[in-house]
Amino acid sequence: MKLIIGQFVPGDSIIHRMDPRAKLITVFIFVFIVFLANNPWTYGFLLAFTVLGILVSKVPFSFIYRGLKPVLFIIIFTFILNALFTRQGDVLISAGWFQLTTAGLKQAIFISIRLLAIIVVTTLLTLTTSPIAITDGLETLLKPLKKWRFPVHEFALMMSIALRFIPTLMEETEKIMKAQMARGVDFSSGSLVKRGKAIIPLLVPLFVGAFKRAEDLAMAMEARGYRGDVGRTKFRLLKWHGRDTGLLSVLAVLTAALILMRG
Amino acid sequence: MKIKTIDLIMAALFAALMGIGANIAAFLPPISGVPLTFQTIIAILAGAVLGSRIGTLSMVVYALIGLVGAPIFADFSGGFGTIFGSSFGFILSFIVMAFAVGKIVETAKRPSLPVFIFAGYVGLAINYVIGTTYMYGALNLWLHSPMSYASAWVIMIPFLIKDAILTFVIAIASERIYRSLKRPTPTKKHAA
Repeated sequence: MKLIIGQFVPGDSIIHRMDPRAKLITVFIFVFIVFLANNPWTYGFLLAFTVLGILVSKVPFSFIYRGLKPVLFIIIFTFILNALFTRQGDVLISAGWFQLTTAGLKQAIFISIRLLAIIVVTTLLTLTTSPIAITDGLETLLKPLKKWRFPVHEFALMMSIALRFIPTLMEETEKIMKAQMARGVDFSSGSLVKRGKAIIPLLVPLFVGAFKRAEDLAMAMEARGYRGDVGRTKFRLLKWHGRDTGLLSVLAVLTAALILMRG
Repeated sequence: MKIKTIDLIMAALFAALMGIGANIAAFLPPISGVPLTFQTIIAILAGAVLGSRIGTLSMVVYALIGLVGAPIFADFSGGFGTIFGSSFGFILSFIVMAFAVGKIVETAKRPSLPVFIFAGYVGLAINYVIGTTYMYGALNLWLHSPMSYASAWVIMIPFLIKDAILTFVIAIASERIYRSLKRPTPTKKHAA
């Protein structure tokens, strides 16, 4: 089940209901403007924007923590490294080689805020928007690339098909594994080479099955008249609301504030 | 760029298989010791079976669906945030890998076992060079945890040894899977 939903946490907050295009644009711009901050005020704005995002989205904090976990170690490591090896400003604590200075502490806090802001905001996008919605949003946003013959529609379709088939293929993998184990294949013991060899009876039927499925699906699609995106209509339509314009306005204000207040 | 319907779907299914291969260890009965990930083998197979063009496409799709939030990268991670992590280079390397392996297999008129072993090791080299360089770049450029390029490689050595052994077994497997997949099916015979 975990894989079907992915990171997405269903909900009904204003951020959940926003157009995926607005959220995508916001995240892309935010990742760049984060680097404008360089003093307490500007870092404060970034932190405020991030915290506000979390509060408005109503996503339980445990989910955000889960997204942060892989990088939390790096953030802590970075914090300690910057705190210890910056030797400017007044000395706060000093014990032998250990020395904590005001400049070091400031530097460590700033860099941690920057990393946290980037990661929380990008995680918030995938927490509040389903992968299919993001795919739809990307397809619409990238439409101009079609002029240069970039296959935008094909990419979106491939992504949707892949997302649709992950659970199915997963089930099949489990089935094949059980079937082969019943026939005496041992997946979990033995040397590396032995275990590597054990995957052959798993992978061969899995791939052959996937190929068969692909042929059936291609035939079914063509029989129903699929020919790329020529004259294709959509089941899920994206609608731009006032709240989406609102999100972009907040982002514009944040950008302006960062540019005006940076030292 | 015109893509045939069947190629489109094959690329999509390989991307899905990549996602399963990344976390297959979680479905195996309790494993002690070395974690296995089948991403390398599937990336190699994507190049070998689908060819350099469609194989590359499928790895791009894999990277994209991971980025939009499906937890299909190793350890069930996913989402835009992963770009900033130190292991995203490995995801990028699969794209180059599929292309290189595809080219090698396409160049060989009749791909035999040595060709697959060679392609496998070329793939592995690409995998580690891009992955480690990205990790080094990530740590130094935006994670602000300076580390020398040499020590980045030292960290990777145990994984490299494990993968070097596995690649050999995997090359044998790829050859077998390649054969069973290239066997003509009713629709393929019809098309030929």
